[in-house]
Amino acid sequence: MKCTEAMLDITDLWASYGSAAVLRGLSLRIQRNERWAIIGRNGTGKSTLIKLVAGLLNPEQGIIRVDGTDVKRYSSKKRAQVMAYVPQKLDGIIPYSVHDFIMLGRYNSMGLLGVPSPKDYEAVREAIDICGIRHIVGRLMSTLSGGELQRVLLAGAVAQQTPLLLLDEPTTFLDPAHECLFFDALARLHKQRELTIVMVTHDINTAIAQCTHVGALLDGSFIFTGTSREFASRCPVLLDEIFSVSFERYTCSSRNAEAFGAWGVPCL
Amino acid sequence: MPLMKRPMAMIVLLSVLTIAAVIVCPMIGIRWISPLCIMHDSDLRFIFLNIRIPRTLVSLFVGGGLAVAGMIYQAIFRNPLADPYTLGVSSGASLGAAVCIVAGVGGTAFGMSAVTFGALVGAVVSTLIIYVFAWSREGNSSTLLLAGVVVATVCSGFIMFINFVGGLHKSFQLLRWLMGGVDGVSYSMFFFLVVPLTAFFIIIGLFMPQLDQFLTGDNIAHSRGVNIRVSRNMFIIVTALAVGSIVAVCGPIGFIGVIAPHACRMLVPGIRHRLLSVCSFLLGGSFLVVADTLARSIAPPSEIPVGIITAMLGGPFFLIVLFRKKSRLLM
Repeated sequence: MKCTEAMLDITDLWASYGSAAVLRGLSLRIQRNERWAIIGRNGTGKSTLIKLVAGLLNPEQGIIRVDGTDVKRYSSKKRAQVMAYVPQKLDGIIPYSVHDFIMLGRYNSMGLLGVPSPKDYEAVREAIDICGIRHIVGRLMSTLSGGELQRVLLAGAVAQQTPLLLLDEPTTFLDPAHECLFFDALARLHKQRELTIVMVTHDINTAIAQCTHVGALLDGSFIFTGTSREFASRCPVLLDEIFSVSFERYTCSSRNAEAFGAWGVPCL
Repeated sequence: MPLMKRPMAMIVLLSVLTIAAVIVCPMIGIRWISPLCIMHDSDLRFIFLNIRIPRTLVSLFVGGGLAVAGMIYQAIFRNPLADPYTLGVSSGASLGAAVCIVAGVGGTAFGMSAVTFGALVGAVVSTLIIYVFAWSREGNSSTLLLAGVVVATVCSGFIMFINFVGGLHKSFQLLRWLMGGVDGVSYSMFFFLVVPLTAFFIIIGLFMPQLDQFLTGDNIAHSRGVNIRVSRNMFIIVTALAVGSIVAVCGPIGFIGVIAPHACRMLVPGIRHRLLSVCSFLLGGSFLVVADTLARSIAPPSEIPVGIITAMLGGPFFLIVLFRKKSRLLM
């Protein structure tokens, strides 16, 4: 493994659903240990981008390199050792206990028979502690609230112990309290090990506060890529352009922080 | 964790139940055959050893095999209504049997009738059609389910046509076959079944962790390192061939494949597939052993096809479980 290599390197990526092009020649370079937020309107291809990186979809054109290797060249197992993916939502009931579900994240390291080793139990225990879900490990997945479920899904991905973590709108359905718990978990995780995170989100303030970098999509390619500080300095003008809604800047003097909000007024 | 302990208790309980059924049920029938009779009466000994024992063993494997096959299809399609016949295997087998019955192909080979071989050919052909489709570009789980329905419908159309032109006698013979039953099975049929089913159990036994992954959804399973397509198609063909050999011997016996895995899931919530497959095999197997015992005992001197019993008993039994647990299907 060459450490000079970017964690994620996307060149000239094109993708479409049927005849509708979603991504048009998009390029992006993400270094190790960076946390990226991908923002943009609905339908601009944020989730598509994440799924392409995860190997769930195939690009029409372009190359995605993760850790220096073309995504298409990874075997299923090897891919799962490099990156973990947390979907936007579940498409059905998962009929296992929380502990068992997180253990499923260790699929890769277990042999054919799927018998967990002490190392697997250790990884699961660590993921449970990082995500702060020790109090619910015995429950069935089907009994969890949305906020609990999202952290359990994260724990499953954390247990995979990959250097790259892909999150597709992890906090969209969470209340502020659970969102806070979720980001606490991410912060603990980041403190423990070197980790690159790519996160799709609709929450601009979260993107600025929680991530080191922001990539803003408009019409299938990036209109902005850079650090979140840089991004904040170019808001709200940039936001107006991305969403075609008028944004305003708010400053919190006690925290020395800024936030951006829209009042539902279209830009002219 | 409380959830970890119960599956083992469940397996012990079901094992005891199954062993009891396998020991007691051969004694029950139109005539009660006690161990004492077997010692003294050579006719009864013959019936016991050469008719009832193979019949019980076949029932055990058929019921168990159907339950495990149903469990697999429910998992890979993430569909609680999937059953062993979902992909049209039984319809293909039935069409093969129908052709043989109405064309009047007679004769036996290796102790199996021509109808059995006809059904086997039908099962293999329909499986291959689905399998080729599964590897095509359009083959995902929903299109596969639809393709299975189409295969089944087309086969049913042909069966009805054959039935219509077949004449009264052959038509009844065909109808009787379609009801499904384990009457008249012999040891040779048992061995005919045991070989593919044992291979089936060994192969899928190795891949149980992948089934667990399927139920987390395709996206998560993929990111965990499962090659969805390869794995799903492997399960499809192995299961279809096992179901095909079952249907060839016994006809399409319904309901066990749907209810046994669900009943086990409800009894042990959160159970994973390695233990679930054992539970399903035991429950499905013992259920068919008991159902067949009822089938041959309740209306002497005639024997009711066991497919009728499983449908009549299985449905209400399942409804009771469903209502008592006050829960949705746990998958």
